[in-house]
Amino acid sequence: MGHSDAASPASAAAARDAKKKRGNRTAAKLKQSKLETRREQWLSGQGKDGKETKVAASPTGAGSNAGSPILASPHPPLPRRRADTRSRGSDPEDREEAAAATLEVGGSDLDSPMHSPGSDKSQGGGCAQRKGFSGNGGGPSLSSGSSVWSSSRSVSDAEEDHTGCPEDESEVLDDWEAAADALYDDDSHCHQSSVPTTPPPAPTNAAPANAARPEPIRSKARAWAPDDIFRPQSLPSISKQASFPASIGNCWAGMGMSAAQQGILSLPLSCPICYEDLDPTDSSFLPCPCGFHLCLFCHNRILEADGRCPGCRKQYNTVPAAEGGGGPRATMIGREMANIAPVRLSRSCSMGPRY
Amino acid sequence: MVDVSRVQKELTECNRDREVSGVSITLHDGANISHLTGTIAGPADSPYEGGTFTIDIRLPGGYPFEPPKMQFVTKVWHPNISSQNGAICLDILKDQWSPALTLKTALLSLQALLSSPAPDDPQDAVVAQQYLRDYPTFAATARYWTEAFAKSASTGMEEKVQKLVEMGFPEDLVRSTLKSVDGDENLALEKLCSG
Repeated sequence: MGHSDAASPASAAAARDAKKKRGNRTAAKLKQSKLETRREQWLSGQGKDGKETKVAASPTGAGSNAGSPILASPHPPLPRRRADTRSRGSDPEDREEAAAATLEVGGSDLDSPMHSPGSDKSQGGGCAQRKGFSGNGGGPSLSSGSSVWSSSRSVSDAEEDHTGCPEDESEVLDDWEAAADALYDDDSHCHQSSVPTTPPPAPTNAAPANAARPEPIRSKARAWAPDDIFRPQSLPSISKQASFPASIGNCWAGMGMSAAQQGILSLPLSCPICYEDLDPTDSSFLPCPCGFHLCLFCHNRILEADGRCPGCRKQYNTVPAAEGGGGPRATMIGREMANIAPVRLSRSCSMGPRY
Repeated sequence: MVDVSRVQKELTECNRDREVSGVSITLHDGANISHLTGTIAGPADSPYEGGTFTIDIRLPGGYPFEPPKMQFVTKVWHPNISSQNGAICLDILKDQWSPALTLKTALLSLQALLSSPAPDDPQDAVVAQQYLRDYPTFAATARYWTEAFAKSASTGMEEKVQKLVEMGFPEDLVRSTLKSVDGDENLALEKLCSG
């Protein structure tokens, strides 16, 4: 899960961008013609929770509505509305999109009468997942739990309260919305192959009941204690999962600590050769890749003698040669071959720019 | 010539934990900092256990860029140490010296050399041959030499006094004679006999 979590946000964001463009286009088309439907749709969103559950529990209104077979499937509008409200609350643009997408559903609902709950479920699951990611990326609210939902929801409720919808309509509209949801889901399913469509408003009907519900829980899975009773059973061996990154973290921390300590230790306060204090220039002077620090005076003195690093006993002047890709022989040729002394001199002179 | 400040810091640092390391360095004579005397304790589980070995240390002018010259003063039976003059065959005192090494690390290396001889690169060929062909004899000889030369003078002195007194010499004369010949039993016996 950690892998998919890490991998998907990027693709989800990309999909959301594409979806936004497309959603805006469709919104422009449909906004005009379906403004009334949209209002109804939104009004249905203001229904109280109790009402929603009632609708969910009794899909009988479905028969009275469009007569679509989808309505027979147990798809409570509640999760879908919650998702909508979430996106509304988090991002005005997303809210606009959500509405537009829903309208699109309304427009194309007759295109797909053959909507099966099974495909619905799988589709809805995928959508819910992506929605979750986009919600994480786009808005602050999604992963923070139900309190934020309810707050954003109350905001949207307040917004829609003054649209003045009659109470008696709302129940019918709920059913209509349920039908639209189902059809939209199918619609988005059709579109999805070509264009990644509207993940945030997409979560719909029956599937979100399974997928969107645990979604916020899943998004904050890292906050779970291994013994948390609300942890889904589907999560594999959280003790291992939790302990593994923890151990890695410890390992990193240990490495960091050791690195820091090494940094301190490998940067002695005094030259290990002459025991004199190292000045900043000496401290930043690293003549050998082995990391042996020494002062410039001692280094120069060593170059006058055998020119070997006191730390690793390797020749100082073969070190840059090895780094440059050529062997010691090559550098001997590349540099002045006349004798060693000029090489050493140039080497010691080359320390000049380091000051 | 010699880096005096470094040598002084080395001496202080080395003698700070002499009880733990079994290694100590003192100035040979109070004035010359380039002539030192090191002592190492014979490593445990070796024929040199219990002995205290004295090493003469002379610092060349190029120290620490040149290795210190070290030589065993105490007679040692060891493949890599001359039984004649105490010369040491150890790479870090020759071509493998590094200025990053110190007198203390060099003495510790000598201590390690005592516990693990390298007979394939011998200083004393006789000892090395004995080590390779007849290790029990080598170990016994080394133990005897440790006992004879590397045990502290005070304990050895009592045994010598005891020995000479048993020969029939008066104890106070034995003590004074031993003191005059710096603890050498044979010299003391000669002196007692002659005098």
